[in-house]
Amino acid sequence: MYVILVYDIEARRVGRMLKLCRQYLNWIQNSVFEGEITEVKLKELISRAKKFLVLEKDSIIIFKSRDEKWLEKQIVGCEKNKIETFL
Amino acid sequence: MKKTYYLFNAGRMSRKDNTLQFTPQDEEGKELPPKYIPIESVSDLYCYGALDANSALYNFLGKSQVAVHFFDYYEHYTGSFMPKDYLLAGKVQIEQTMHHVKKEKRMVLARLFIEGAAFNMLKNLRYYNNREKNVQPQIDSIEQFMEMLHGYTEVDELMGLEGNIRQCYYQAFETIIDEFTMGNRTKQPPSNEVNALISFGNMMCYSLCLGQIYHTQLNPTISFLHEPGARRYSLALDLAEIFKPLLVDRTIFTVLNKKQLQADDFRIELNRCIMKDAAKKTFVKAFEERINETIQHRSLKRSVSYKHLVKLECYKLSKHILGVETYKPFKTWW
Repeated sequence: MYVILVYDIEARRVGRMLKLCRQYLNWIQNSVFEGEITEVKLKELISRAKKFLVLEKDSIIIFKSRDEKWLEKQIVGCEKNKIETFL
Repeated sequence: MKKTYYLFNAGRMSRKDNTLQFTPQDEEGKELPPKYIPIESVSDLYCYGALDANSALYNFLGKSQVAVHFFDYYEHYTGSFMPKDYLLAGKVQIEQTMHHVKKEKRMVLARLFIEGAAFNMLKNLRYYNNREKNVQPQIDSIEQFMEMLHGYTEVDELMGLEGNIRQCYYQAFETIIDEFTMGNRTKQPPSNEVNALISFGNMMCYSLCLGQIYHTQLNPTISFLHEPGARRYSLALDLAEIFKPLLVDRTIFTVLNKKQLQADDFRIELNRCIMKDAAKKTFVKAFEERINETIQHRSLKRSVSYKHLVKLECYKLSKHILGVETYKPFKTWW
């Protein structure tokens, strides 16, 4: 499964969310991550996030797609972080 | 599917916030902005450049079951950091050893490995034979060698036969590859471009097999066709035999005949040929694309990548060892 995850979280907790997401997905922009992930790993990510989030104030949106090829990505301006496996 | 990361750039890998942080360096040693690699998506790391790392990182990689394979300046495989075995199975271990010790049992497997390898080589040759490259003489002689397969009773003899088949096969490379000549197969050190590519590719295939064996219960040090030596994972060599024609050789033909690699991508030093960094990168990219290609598996009835085929091969092997199902080497069916 290929997902795009965006979050809008109060400044005090945003650092924790960033660190958590980095373990599972690729950072592409402030508050935006994307990448290949399994169903289970995504559940794990969400349940770990719920531990510190205040659900009345914070929000996470996950866009799912079956495969990366069903996602058309257009970039205007600069690409902040290219996703690569060749470093 | 977890991904393989290839590190060509020099830099520092460290554990940061429970994930990996890679800080690349430019040619002058200046640090560039760090990149974060999601640890949950990493299956293994291949290191070609100079990598700085500390034990905290290796502890973390070990816990996350990420293997690191190292290669030296001359692109030789130097070794791997393997995390602690996590799939232990005494029964498989014992049976695997038994299959090595009992000569009849070992011969069965050794023969099957050669059969699979030769079949896949023939498949490659036939493919090019249909595309106006005349390799019929090599096909004929390999077929003749194949007929001798069942007459042998010693593993050494089989290894000899394997050598003969491979020699024939490499002769066909002259015809298949347009721009370059290959001459004899030379290793340690490879004398020309094609030989350098074969060595490099075989080593990639070898590390791939090792990586996949790690994720099964098999013991990578006990082999059947190759003699299990000290300090090497010889089962990976056995498995690699079957996949080399499909993964390595086809990639070589593609990058050379499509002119993705050309003469100036190589450097000839004192009787050896070295791939330049850009050439390594191009080849690894092509190889990576190849192993991630998917095919429709006939008995599983779903699409699987070539990389996964290697793991399936390990499963078949464990089944054979445990006496569940006789091993059938992987043969390209398309």
